[in-house]
This record gives sequence, C-alpha cells and structure tokens, in this order.
Amino acid sequence: MYLYLPVALTSINILIPIGLGLAVGLLSGLFGVGGGFLMTPLLIMFGIPSTVAAATDSNQIVAASTSGTYAHWKVGNVDFKMGLYLLVGGFVGGLGGVQAIKVLRAMGNADFVIKMTYVLMLGIVGTYMFFESLASMRKKKTETSKPAKESGLSKFLKSLPMQTHFEKSGVTHSALIPIIFGSFVGVLAAVMGVGGGFLMVPVMVYILRMPMHVVVGTSLFQILFNCIEVTFLQAYTNHSVDFVLAVLLLIGSTFGAQVGAVFGRKLKGEQLKIILAVIVLVVTVKIVYDLTASPSLLLSMGGGH
Amino acid sequence: MKVQGSKFKVFAYLLFAILLSAGTASATLTAKANHDRITVDFFYHGSTVSVRGVSDPGTDLIVKIASPEGEQTLRQKGKVGGLLWMNVGKLVFERVPSLYFLESTKNLTDILSEEEMNKYVLGYSALEKHAEVTPVSSPAEREKWFDEFVSFKTASKLYATSYGKITTTREGGNQQYYILLDWPYQASPGEYTVSVYAVKNNKVVEQAETKVSVEQVGVVKSLATMAKSNAAVYGAISILAALGAGFGVGLIFRKGGGAH
Repeated sequence: MYLYLPVALTSINILIPIGLGLAVGLLSGLFGVGGGFLMTPLLIMFGIPSTVAAATDSNQIVAASTSGTYAHWKVGNVDFKMGLYLLVGGFVGGLGGVQAIKVLRAMGNADFVIKMTYVLMLGIVGTYMFFESLASMRKKKTETSKPAKESGLSKFLKSLPMQTHFEKSGVTHSALIPIIFGSFVGVLAAVMGVGGGFLMVPVMVYILRMPMHVVVGTSLFQILFNCIEVTFLQAYTNHSVDFVLAVLLLIGSTFGAQVGAVFGRKLKGEQLKIILAVIVLVVTVKIVYDLTASPSLLLSMGGGH
Repeated sequence: MKVQGSKFKVFAYLLFAILLSAGTASATLTAKANHDRITVDFFYHGSTVSVRGVSDPGTDLIVKIASPEGEQTLRQKGKVGGLLWMNVGKLVFERVPSLYFLESTKNLTDILSEEEMNKYVLGYSALEKHAEVTPVSSPAEREKWFDEFVSFKTASKLYATSYGKITTTREGGNQQYYILLDWPYQASPGEYTVSVYAVKNNKVVEQAETKVSVEQVGVVKSLATMAKSNAAVYGAISILAALGAGFGVGLIFRKGGGAH
C-alpha cells in the first residue's frame, strides 16, 4: 500500500518506512545509537529528498529513543546524572559545530572536510572498538594490563577539579569530563550532520569507563533530547519534517527499540560492542565505496545549508 | 500608410487561410486533457493524463507538457584528487521547466526543422539553447552539464521524450489524435501547460493549449500548509506525537511482556 508524503512530495510503499524503522529501532535499543548514519542514506535511496530525510529521521528518533530509554530505565540502566552533563556539553558543542560549518563553507571545499571527518571517525571508532572488544573477549579471565595502559589518561582525569560520583555507572569523574567530551561529540555531530550516537557510545565506554548496558540506556536518554531540539529547529527553520513519514518510521522503530532493549540484556557488553563495531565498519566501507565508485548521476538536489 | 498596409496584409492572409481551409476541409486544432485537475490525497500514487483532440488530416503532432520555467540549483559532483567523488560545487539552471514531457507522432528531427524546434522549445537540444547554465567555462562543458541535468530529471521521472505513442484516426475529413501518459507522483503541485503543435512540411502550422493542475487536497493539504505557515506548532506536534508513541509502546511492552 502506498501513502503520499505531504512534505517530501512523494509517494512511498508503507512497508518500506515501517521495515526500516523496525531495523534501525532494533539497533537503537541494542546499542544506544540513533541510527541516523544508516536511516538517512536509506531514505534518500528510496526517493526522499535529503533535507527531508535527515529532519524526519530526527523526529523518528525522538520516538525510538523515548521507547528505548523507557525500556532501559525500567531495569535501572539509565544514568540520568551523566546524561545531563553530556547533554550540557553536547548542546554547547552543537552551537560551536554550526559555526564551524559556516567557517568551512566560507573557506570552500567544506564537503571534502566533512566527508573525510566522517569516514575517519567511523573508521577509527569502528576499528578500535572491534579490536578492543575482540581482545577483551579473549582475555576475559586474565584481566591484567588494562589499568596500567590507561594510567596516564586516568591520572590526568583524576587530577581535574569537581570530582563527582556517578552512582548508576559506578564511576567517579570530574564533572568537566562528560561536559568536555559531550561538547566534542556535539561539534563533530553538527559538522557531520548526524546525531553522534556512534561517537558518544565509545566515549562513554572507553573514556568514562561506564558499563556497556548503562551506556546504551544513557546514550538513548541523551539522544532523545538532542533529537527533540533538532526536530524543532528543522521543522521551524527548514520546514523539512514530514509528519506522515515520521509516523510510519516510528511505528516500526518504537517496537524495534523495545525488542532491541530486551535482546540486548541477553548479550554481554563485549558482544554488543563487537557487533556495533562491525556495523560501523560496514557503513564506513559503504561510504568509501560511494566516494570512489563512479556515480550514475553527477547532479543531485541541493542540501539544506 | 504602413499601418494600413499591414492591416491589408492581415486581411489578405485571413482570406487566404479561409479559402485554403475551405478547400481542404480543415479543422481547427483542438486539445483536451482528461482531467484538468489532479488531486493529491493520502493515497495518491501518480495518475494518468490523456490528451485528445482534432487536427487536420496529414499533419504530424507534437504534445508538450511543461511546468512554468524557473530556476533550479543542483549540487555538482566531481572528482577530488583524481580519486574521490564528492560535491564540488553548485550549478544553476535557469529558464528550465521542472517537468518536461514531449511526445510526437514521429521522430522530432524528421518532422520539424531546427529553427522551428528552437522557436517553440521542442526537444532537449532546443531546451538547452533556451536554458542558462552557470557557472560553466566552455560550450562543451555547458552541453555536458545540460546532458547531466536531463539525466537527473529523467531519473526523477520529470523529463521524458519519445515518439510513436500518439495514435491518430481518420474520422470524416478530420484526424483525431489521442495519447495516454503516465503522470508521475514526483511532479509537485502546480499548474502545467499542455501544448499541442500540428506540424506540416517541417513547420508548426497550428497550436492549441490546455492546462493540467495538480493540487493537494484534504489532510495532505492541511499538513503541507501547516508545515510551512505554522511551523512552530507543526514542529511541536511532531515531537509530542513521537514522545507519545515512544511512551505508548513502552507501556504496551511492560503490560504485554510482564517480566523483562
């Protein structure tokens, strides 16, 4: 059955957005990522204009992450305190990122810088997570070199002021740490035009040393607020949110997020990390392929900016 | 004197035309579309447009459907460092319709001279001469990017040309023509002009016109209007609906799932 989308100005088989929503919602509930890095290109592939695809996806993520946060909160896997600090950082970083884009565009060649940042970030994060979780899966019982390796960084982190304990995560950090790294992710996310879940998750795992299951719930909580802000701005300034498409997507994604959250509890932290790493690497390869293969069309619709 | 002369000329032509038409039992070219108004509701998945009319026997016909001309800015892909394809700039196409369909009884170049094609903007090469493309450094580059533009529009189902789909039948002293075209759902709301040209001896001899308008109706129209004119409320509703759906499904799972 086909439905007409009033803002995208196109018609779509409803099974496509519902199916995509289900798949991406599942990933969201499992890994605590919004899945924009998957959803937006897929929507464009199915004929949705790029600006509408990105804006509508963020509307959909509001639903998926509400559903996912709720599911994780029920089992005590959301660190609200940490989430709030990250949010503050992310918000500041987002503002900085928007300015950074303006500077890049003024300098010309912005697309090159953005694409390269994206590919490098995905590649580095994916590769690091893959090998790290592979190693920790192997050396599960020995548990040796970890603290020694991290001592430099963790010593520095411990020396910072405003140390505070995060009960849910079972870690103690300076409040500045999540704010600084949150804003770092915020800058990159704004520059790359993505939610940044795939960056935030590794930051929480490797720098904040939070347990993987709490990471997923907290990341979703943080994404929820980011996407509320983005949806509103997109609807208000670009008129690019398609309500009908968002409803179709969220039918799938809200259920997917619940299933993902339930399924995630059955997996170990390392297993979750390694699957996420593989997905991130596959996306990286796909982007690199798109960059190097000759495109069939040399012209495309202009984006928002 | 001059004015009088030209008046006489017009009169003479008219007289000549009347005499000529009487001699060949000619019919004035007519054009009618099956619906002048295509309504877009939730279940709209494109439509069909048929054009029919009467023409002089022995004339070839060209049916052109086009939106008003406008400006379109597209992103231009190019190779960076001889290896990576990415957007390298923007191209502006001016005086181009967003939708352009052209159907003819025979291959356009066989029935119409180039001057006539350019005069009435019939065919892609005429459209290229008519359009403006910026920035391009040479005519060759201009041609290349206009070809890319046509490919892009064709892929979006908004540009198409072909021939041989118009059927003509003799009825009395007249020729009836008919064509049925698929109307793509990608065509945005607006007014489209259907122009029919009767062609003889490589020249356009007669022209008729009709309109097709595409309009959003009902909820589709309300939502599209609201998204533009009431953006803050629209954004707020979108967010609240998403929050509601997220919580709603969460609650369903708690009840249905029981133990996690």
